[in-house]
Amino acid sequence: MTVGDWARISSDAFNVALFAYIAAMVLSFAYLAFRRSGFHTAAIVVGTAGLAANVLSIVGRGIAAGRTPWGNMYEYSSLLTALIVLAYLVIVEWRYRVRTVGGFVFAFAIFTMAMAVSFFYVGPTELQPALNSYWRQIHVTAMITASSLLGIGCLFTILYLVKLGMERRQMAALRAQIPPPIMGGSVDADLEPDAPPDYAPGADEPVGSGAPALPARRIALPPSATLDRLAYRFIQFGFPIWTFGVMCGAIWAQQTWGRYWGWDPKETWSFITWTIFAGYLHARATSGWKGAKAASIALVGFVSLLITYYAVNLWIAGLHTYAK
Amino acid sequence: MRTALVLLFLLAAAAAVGSLLPQIPNSPERVASYRVAHPVLGDFFSRAGFFDVFGSWWFVLILSLLFVSLVACLIPRSRAMIRTIRQRPIQARELDAFPHYRELAVPGEPAGVAATARVVLRRHGYRVAASEDGRAVAAEKGALREVGSLVFHWAFVLLLVAVVVGKGTGYVGHATIVEGQTWTDAAFNYDGDLRTGRFSSGGHTGIGIELTDYSDDFRQSGVPMDFTSKVKLFAPDGTFARDDVVTINHPVSFGGVRIFQYGFGWAPVVTIRDHGRTLYDGPVVMGQNAPKDVNPLAVPWVGFVKLSTLRPQVAIQLELYPDSLAYLSGLLSGTPEPMTEANAPFMRYAVWQGKLTDPSLTSLDTRFMHQIATGGIGQGWTVDLASGCVAKGRVASELPPQLAGTVCPKDAAAPALTMSFPRLKQYSRLQISRDTTVPFVLGAAILILAGLIAAMYSSRRKVWVRVEARDDGSLLQVGGFALQRKDRFEEAFPKLVDDLASAVTRTPAHPREEVGAR
Repeated sequence: MTVGDWARISSDAFNVALFAYIAAMVLSFAYLAFRRSGFHTAAIVVGTAGLAANVLSIVGRGIAAGRTPWGNMYEYSSLLTALIVLAYLVIVEWRYRVRTVGGFVFAFAIFTMAMAVSFFYVGPTELQPALNSYWRQIHVTAMITASSLLGIGCLFTILYLVKLGMERRQMAALRAQIPPPIMGGSVDADLEPDAPPDYAPGADEPVGSGAPALPARRIALPPSATLDRLAYRFIQFGFPIWTFGVMCGAIWAQQTWGRYWGWDPKETWSFITWTIFAGYLHARATSGWKGAKAASIALVGFVSLLITYYAVNLWIAGLHTYAK
Repeated sequence: MRTALVLLFLLAAAAAVGSLLPQIPNSPERVASYRVAHPVLGDFFSRAGFFDVFGSWWFVLILSLLFVSLVACLIPRSRAMIRTIRQRPIQARELDAFPHYRELAVPGEPAGVAATARVVLRRHGYRVAASEDGRAVAAEKGALREVGSLVFHWAFVLLLVAVVVGKGTGYVGHATIVEGQTWTDAAFNYDGDLRTGRFSSGGHTGIGIELTDYSDDFRQSGVPMDFTSKVKLFAPDGTFARDDVVTINHPVSFGGVRIFQYGFGWAPVVTIRDHGRTLYDGPVVMGQNAPKDVNPLAVPWVGFVKLSTLRPQVAIQLELYPDSLAYLSGLLSGTPEPMTEANAPFMRYAVWQGKLTDPSLTSLDTRFMHQIATGGIGQGWTVDLASGCVAKGRVASELPPQLAGTVCPKDAAAPALTMSFPRLKQYSRLQISRDTTVPFVLGAAILILAGLIAAMYSSRRKVWVRVEARDDGSLLQVGGFALQRKDRFEEAFPKLVDDLASAVTRTPAHPREEVGAR
């Protein structure tokens, strides 16, 4: 096959992946709403097929360009999407067996892909010499992997905050039904969900025959404790990789530009993102900051992550803009 | 810890400001245009140091406070950690009160079972301590968590210090060297953008770099693929040290500095004579001021020769087309073509007469000057600058017909001011930097990562074992808990108990039974 064939296969596979993810998202949301396991199975099958197409697209791109296929924002985004879906399937579906949040992850993947096609598309070309380094591949791989993990972590943080709000409203509703304690005792101690139980596999499903708190509600996310734990695990996993990626970038910069750190906008924002997630991890370890407070730091981190990934390339000038 | 975190966030906020506003060290021209566009705000930002955030006093202040706060926090923590490591694990009384508890009947007498338990626990990576009666064991694991955390934080402090010292005592600047020229590392030889650290002694190494050859490689589209500078390196005393090659991503270390490929350009060699007397003879380093969104390689290069000894003073403005054929075909087709290699090079010139106001070689202030002549010159020509005719050289060369010159009439008087263009050379712009703490920064970075991973993926676990005598053997009690990653301990604890049980039963309580089991 010629280089042109591979380039065409790559962009076709990209589109197939995009549509597969859209289908997987719809199916996942359908499962969340109606709890028919057929929807879930279909979502996983379609999502996995989309991932295969996504990987094919990346490989085809690499063959067409004659280099590792992560040299510009379009290619980063394609790789990021594949890693997001892969991390979701492996960690959330397979390891933790949480099945109800797939739709949100696929939505995130679709957003990344759509941004890639609409703002960053370029044909497969050779790279500028500055990008032609061994460290580039390590740096980019680490940054994209970390971005996917931190991104999913932040997504779960958002879901956690949503679910926490729902649980608090349910608690308030329950409390309104319970008569006030007679002898000055408190019902709060039994109702507050502030001590999350340790994570148990399948924690998004009602356990045993005991009915869930409000069975009338069918669209139910996993309990907030599960979401919180998942968010923390993803961020905890992604943070050292982010650190490593930034360091590789510094080594590469030292080689290419003669300084390991120059406060270039992309560097600056990767540092800001690092700082915020470092704050998040510290907050998790500090009593009194757990739960919603720590989660709000992760949300700031998410915004910073998106700025690092998108805004710097779209709006702020700097050395990394050639990576467009 | 909270103070350090707040300071870290402040640092992030300052960095965000620094990335959103143009910065003087990175893009002074954008700062200038910002200040023109927003005079009031720009003035305020300038006073507040917002145009040089990373060099401003308050950024340094935040860094120093962060440093102090970290150290103040880390010293007591390190002491406590050393104490904890020295301390033997403490015995516990009621094992069944711990979140994880198992008891099982085992053969053997209590002291022997406890000894076996010690071995097993040690094999599982626990530090163990036996009780005085030898029937109980206290064990703990995961000091690595606090050690890793401390390594991470101390390494962060080391990183801060190394960065500040390195940037503070080092320098970075750019050197323009034309093929055949030798450049010496001294402050006044830099291109004018030399940046020296706050605590620098101002000394330079004095090494010499001779550019023997520069070459580059472009794709058809004008995308650069490689830049290569072949250099000879000389020790400060002028003795030849070695030949080397500087290319993108392959810097050269020599004499305490690192040399990077940074840029390149054209340097036509010109000779200017006045009545046969040589006024200027050498390469003219050419620059570019391409408009935005235009491939700079498709735009002519500009340079100046300033003849300040003439009265009135004279400046010659040169415009170089390294590949005049590509330029013309670009003009005809409407899409500019990059001029990546020397191919029938041609220069247009303008002669200005009057008063020179600045010695800059990259610009010309024409307020006190007037243009007296213009014309063109091909490689190998000598032109009469006043009339523009070619006094020497092959006019009908490989140049396109539009650029062919006219030969001076035979009977013309000898020209006063002439210019020759014998050769077209290239120059290489190298970045020279001195930063002595790079290895420390790298070392600190590695420690940061190692400490981080150790701190994140280890967890503190405590386990106690107590053995009590029973009629036909012993009762083994195991209790314990994990401070972090409790879900992992939930899996690890039963495995530990199983290991204990099988080790204890394997220990021959009744030798005959053991033989029978085989």
